[in-house]
Amino acid sequence: MKADIRIAWILARGSERREWWRASLTLIGALLATGSALAAVTVAAVSGQVSLPYAHGLLDRPGERAGVVFTLVLLLVPVLGFLGQCARIGAVHRYRRMAGLRLAGASPGQVRRIAAAESAIACLAGSSAGLALFLGLLALTGHTPRPVAWAGLVAVVVAVPVAAALVSALALRHVVAAPLEYARRTVPSAGRRAALGFLIAATSIALSALLLLFPVGRRVTPPVLLVLALVLLTGAGAIWAAGASAAFIGRTLTRRARRPAVLIAASRLAHDPWAAARTHAALLLVTVVAVGFVGVRAVLLDTLTDSARPMSLAFYTTGIDLAGSAVLVALAISACALAVGTAESLATRRRGLAAQAAAGVPHRVLAEAVLLETALPLAPALLLAGLGGTVVYVGYAMIVVTASVPLLPLLVPVAVLVLCLLAAATSLPLLRRAVNPAELRFT
Amino acid sequence: MSTREPRPSPESSALISAHGLRKSYGRTEALRGASLELREGEILAVAGASGSGKSTLLHCLSGIVRPDEGVVTYGGEQLGLLPEGRLGELRRSDFGVVFQFGQLIPELTALDNVAMPLLLAGMRRGPAQQQAGEWLERFGVRGQAELRPGEMSGGQSQRVALARALVTGPRVVFADEPTGALDTLAGEQVMTALVHTARESATAVLLITHDAQVAAYADREVVMSDGVLRSGSDDVVGQEAARREG
Repeated sequence: MKADIRIAWILARGSERREWWRASLTLIGALLATGSALAAVTVAAVSGQVSLPYAHGLLDRPGERAGVVFTLVLLLVPVLGFLGQCARIGAVHRYRRMAGLRLAGASPGQVRRIAAAESAIACLAGSSAGLALFLGLLALTGHTPRPVAWAGLVAVVVAVPVAAALVSALALRHVVAAPLEYARRTVPSAGRRAALGFLIAATSIALSALLLLFPVGRRVTPPVLLVLALVLLTGAGAIWAAGASAAFIGRTLTRRARRPAVLIAASRLAHDPWAAARTHAALLLVTVVAVGFVGVRAVLLDTLTDSARPMSLAFYTTGIDLAGSAVLVALAISACALAVGTAESLATRRRGLAAQAAAGVPHRVLAEAVLLETALPLAPALLLAGLGGTVVYVGYAMIVVTASVPLLPLLVPVAVLVLCLLAAATSLPLLRRAVNPAELRFT
Repeated sequence: MSTREPRPSPESSALISAHGLRKSYGRTEALRGASLELREGEILAVAGASGSGKSTLLHCLSGIVRPDEGVVTYGGEQLGLLPEGRLGELRRSDFGVVFQFGQLIPELTALDNVAMPLLLAGMRRGPAQQQAGEWLERFGVRGQAELRPGEMSGGQSQRVALARALVTGPRVVFADEPTGALDTLAGEQVMTALVHTARESATAVLLITHDAQVAAYADREVVMSDGVLRSGSDDVVGQEAARREG
């Protein structure tokens, strides 16, 4: 094991600059994940009716605390997605390196351990930093968690790097099985994972239904399993929808494109529609939630103001704003994942891009193609996501029988699209470097 | 291998001329005062060992990189003085570039790859594809028109790349080790196609190679050694290797 860690360190030191980007971003992702999980554990460890001097009493009662914990746990979804995206930085290069190690005689176990060590070290640093910051925050607020919470905190700090190591080792299974293929070429991502998610979710729902019908003992909680299964089903469905719509748009536009940039972007979408499916799915889900949230917030505040209960307004706005912050954080994290994915895509094919530029393809066309790769699949999908969110808040408005339905939420999908284009545009300086003729000097 | 055709007369006008080119990458001097003339319709081979500066010379002559010192003149224009936009325009219209690999867009079909320079020039997709199809036919890869680069053999990809380089009717083709990644048979097919088309259309070719057999397709050969051009001979690469070993 010591030798494996040493090899992992040597490989990391000898790697390109993007390996350090990957480590740094993984560290930040682990820090955010640890922070959310620690907060959830701490709040969950509080029991009974209490009186806490912050959050306008939002954490005082078990019912609201459960809502806060649920929000923090949901926040983990985009954070973990971001962490997964970070792990994909330089994946092609890294997988080839691991395949090379396998071909050089490393055992499957050694390769898995080296890959796991690469991810786990960065995650351990991130989770430790997260713990340090969290303890600092606790000291500032003067709050001392219950002893049971400490066990949870330690478990979180250990679980984050362990999970990262397991995911890294699992991701290498194809490399371990067929190293020669990876050493020679890249394998486009497929939609099989979305199908697997569907299968797991469907099985979980069926299991939940069975447990509801035939309860076994008192410890089984089918509703929790059902909620998790529904979340998984929604995620897998969103990924499948994002990938399938990207494939459809890509194929359609490839046939009809008249402009070079559109043709390049559409062909890339048609060739590998699943490449950005997870990130796009996260953005779509966040958009549905954001549109729904902005609409529900407006309707709720309207209703509360009308009911003339100013004493309780701060309590409600604190809760709403906490949920709003979570939506904003989720949106920011999803946009970051999109930026990271776009940059990674450019870094992977920089030699080909340099050859294109050398052959006379204008930089403007290549830059336009990069932005179109984001805009073409996302624009119609965000429109649909906006409609989904609108149904949520209009439905809510109908339930509470409010006089007016707000129109502001309709701007949210537009704002998200602009944010996505800005996120993709952050990789344009990298494109300028990628098309540098110096890239042609290296094979 | 094809037999050599008559060389252009010495009076043929220089299409591209380079004088005193110097280019460094960090502490590595890739070019150390290289001078060269490429005439109209001429096929010129630049031979030499790996790392001798051949590719850098091609990059300077085609305006892909600017030399640190020296002058490259094409059609009365000094490439070093042209803005980046004009250089890109030249590479799209007057120059065709073929590399060892990597120049095809992996997601596009062979047909769309060849049509791309025409689309960039503003041609509509239908006529562009029709013209591209004719060029694929000429290079014997019409049957691969709907395949992507990853689905073709190396030789087929290289012939598609040649079609792409020639589709706009350039005056010069810069070919950097065009057969470097191919076996002997595929290499011969690619070179035969390139030389035949260049002769037919009176296109000048600057051929970078470290392979004496490939260099033999050219009208004239020069040898690059340590960033300097020397006059050629029948076995330029062999002599160069012998010189290095000696």
